[in-house]
Amino acid sequence: MAEGGDAEWELSKENIQPLKRGRDISVLHQALSQQQDGPSSAVCQQKQAFESELRIYNGDDPLDVWDRYVKWTEQTFPQGGKESNLPVLLERAVTQFTEEKKYHNDPRYVDLWIKFAKICSEPLEIYRYMQAQRVGGSQASFYIAWSEEYERLGNSREADKVYQEGFNNCAEPRDKLLQYHKALQARVSRQVMTTMAEKDSDEESNEPERLSLVDLKHRGKKKAIVPVNRAQAALGHNSRGLQSQGAPAPSGAKNSCFVVFDENKGPAAVTSEPKWESWAAPPPVRAKENAQKPEKWCDVKMAQKSRFGHKIVPPPLTKPTFQPYVEESDEPPRMTPCKINSAVNTVLSARKPRLEETPLKRLQEHRHLQQQQQQQETQGGKLQEKNMYCKELLFSGATEFCFEELRAERYRKKMAQETQPGQSSADPTNTETEF
Amino acid sequence: MSLFGTATGFGAGGTGVFGATTTDSHNPMKDVEVTSPPDDSISCLAFSPPTMPGNFLIGGSWANDVRCWEVQDNGQTVPKAQQMHTGPVLDVCWSDDGSKVFTASCDKTAKMWDLNSNQAMQIAQHDGPIKSIHWIKAPNYSCIMTGSWDKTLKFWDTRSPNPMLSLPMTERCYCADVVYPMAVLATADRGLIVYQLENQPSEFRRIDSPLKHQHRCVAIFKDKQNKPTGFALGSIEGRVAIHYINPPNPAKDNFTFKCHRSNGTNTATPQDIYAVNAISFHPVHGTLATVGSDGRFSFWDKDARTKLKTSEQLDQPITACCFNSNGNIFAYASSYDWSKGHEYYNPQKKNYIFLRNAAEELKPRNKKW
Repeated sequence: MAEGGDAEWELSKENIQPLKRGRDISVLHQALSQQQDGPSSAVCQQKQAFESELRIYNGDDPLDVWDRYVKWTEQTFPQGGKESNLPVLLERAVTQFTEEKKYHNDPRYVDLWIKFAKICSEPLEIYRYMQAQRVGGSQASFYIAWSEEYERLGNSREADKVYQEGFNNCAEPRDKLLQYHKALQARVSRQVMTTMAEKDSDEESNEPERLSLVDLKHRGKKKAIVPVNRAQAALGHNSRGLQSQGAPAPSGAKNSCFVVFDENKGPAAVTSEPKWESWAAPPPVRAKENAQKPEKWCDVKMAQKSRFGHKIVPPPLTKPTFQPYVEESDEPPRMTPCKINSAVNTVLSARKPRLEETPLKRLQEHRHLQQQQQQQETQGGKLQEKNMYCKELLFSGATEFCFEELRAERYRKKMAQETQPGQSSADPTNTETEF
Repeated sequence: MSLFGTATGFGAGGTGVFGATTTDSHNPMKDVEVTSPPDDSISCLAFSPPTMPGNFLIGGSWANDVRCWEVQDNGQTVPKAQQMHTGPVLDVCWSDDGSKVFTASCDKTAKMWDLNSNQAMQIAQHDGPIKSIHWIKAPNYSCIMTGSWDKTLKFWDTRSPNPMLSLPMTERCYCADVVYPMAVLATADRGLIVYQLENQPSEFRRIDSPLKHQHRCVAIFKDKQNKPTGFALGSIEGRVAIHYINPPNPAKDNFTFKCHRSNGTNTATPQDIYAVNAISFHPVHGTLATVGSDGRFSFWDKDARTKLKTSEQLDQPITACCFNSNGNIFAYASSYDWSKGHEYYNPQKKNYIFLRNAAEELKPRNKKW
């Protein structure tokens, strides 16, 4: 049976994201089996417990809760994905302690930052930001992650520089940094050696003559070889292009001889036997589709351009002869009106990408805001608006809480303590008396 | 009009312990205090339905109890009965005939309290605390609707231990209101779902929230034909949205307004923004009352889009409010709403329920007819 169980996770390997720390096999089994049952209450409860702990923790190491929560999330949602909320969680965790100097070189905090950087689209920017904020400056893991990112991009020179900086800043543990640095150097030198060797062999054999029309050799550490049959590929591409261009032409030609069904012609046309029209005299209307009746030009409007530069095709004025049936319940939900003038925009406008909304930008803004607030508080300056409720408690963690949920969690905790009589009697000056 | 006396007659009804001096701000509006209020924050209030003679007020609290008072015509309140849950009570409602009261609690159960026999029995069970409870009276059925933090909405025949219907939600229920044949549910993550209750409850429509912040309270309003036609939704950041279900002109008819904020648009000091804790519609005039964390209540005319009145500031937030069936009494509860976390909670602070004459102050600004 155990063997069968072991094999089970092999069947859904594609659902398991690799984790640097590795995965606990029993937790993995549990997570995968729970997945099949749908969202289980055990996971929900654990998540809820973490969420409430984030909010009511009053010890001196709040980072601990975040650290455990993130690690638990990684293990419990092996496939990543939306329900894990990991990106949100990491972002909140990282943002939470930007002002806490004592955590800036805490390995756990730096670890959170690195995880956060790895899920961002521009990890290098995050690392640079960390450096500027002096987060992880004395942690070897920070330099290693940073360097690896450079190496991944093929910039071994910068990767090496990062290690140098790590040494300059006396990052700890030094052994680990040294070891990784050596490994990097070994990789780089091996690469250089192989390219050199190839070059040498190239030069030896190929020096006398220059061959034409042979396969191209790859050079350097980039293994990509330019395809030799370039001409063919280009041809293929061209021919495809030609086809797509040419396609409408024949169909257009066909149109002129085909009888196009026209519902406006009425039922008589449908019931009558299709008549073959002679080539010589097609009905004049269809033969000349561009024929225009003479008319006044002075009240003809030019095609207008919208604000976005697209030409607007005026919708055809002909109305369908039938009334489309719409079931009452099928009406689209009425929402607060959007400001787009429907007369101008006949098509749905594409959602504009929010250019400025990268996690890093949000972070910087958050910090900026905090600093502003501090300044204003010290100067007694003017903020536009001030929230008179505990926003940071409501929006901690991956989900929001309402006031009653916060209070209910307190209540639950207090009840749990009271049911353990040994604890509460031993500790009369319980912190929970304030409940 | 004379049913509930006049405002001047109320003074004698108060307890008068503090003498209502100017320094004491627990009752700046000089309203009638309800005798023996709950010992902890009051989470919900409900007046008896019009089918019942007299006025009975039910209040649930974080002290796990539900209390019932009789409000006499001279403004005096008489405590009548009390029931307990094993957790804080989050919501209460009446049956349409006024014989029963239903209570929802953090202990994950809902109870039916028969006022005649003073017996309470459990009628519902959730996997999480129950945040909202409503009585639904349809021509072909009647049931209890419970919305919970376990992300389900359940409908209970009071005789069966199993729900007659359970609808899943994407998020936790934060507040709800029912006026047959319509139910509105506001959830976490700014979800907003409208249900229709004819024949059988079913989801009618999901609405994109007109508000940008967490939903906190919702109340359905009726049109001139006494049919539910829309709802008012309050958020934690001092704003209320008036939203019609099928407005002739959505752009013009739906709107939001700011409330429960300090010192208006004075730019010298920052504007303090408070949560809107509850909304209640006047049963006769169709005007509405909002109460907030700032310890004020305000009366509004949504059709004229004007404020009718704002109260003086109480020394505590106002957590709940309601009107009696003929709209002559406005009840509001002064207690801590947890809006600043547990650090600001003072268990020694007394909680109050006040009664105010609402017959005149909630008349619409300009009557069109």
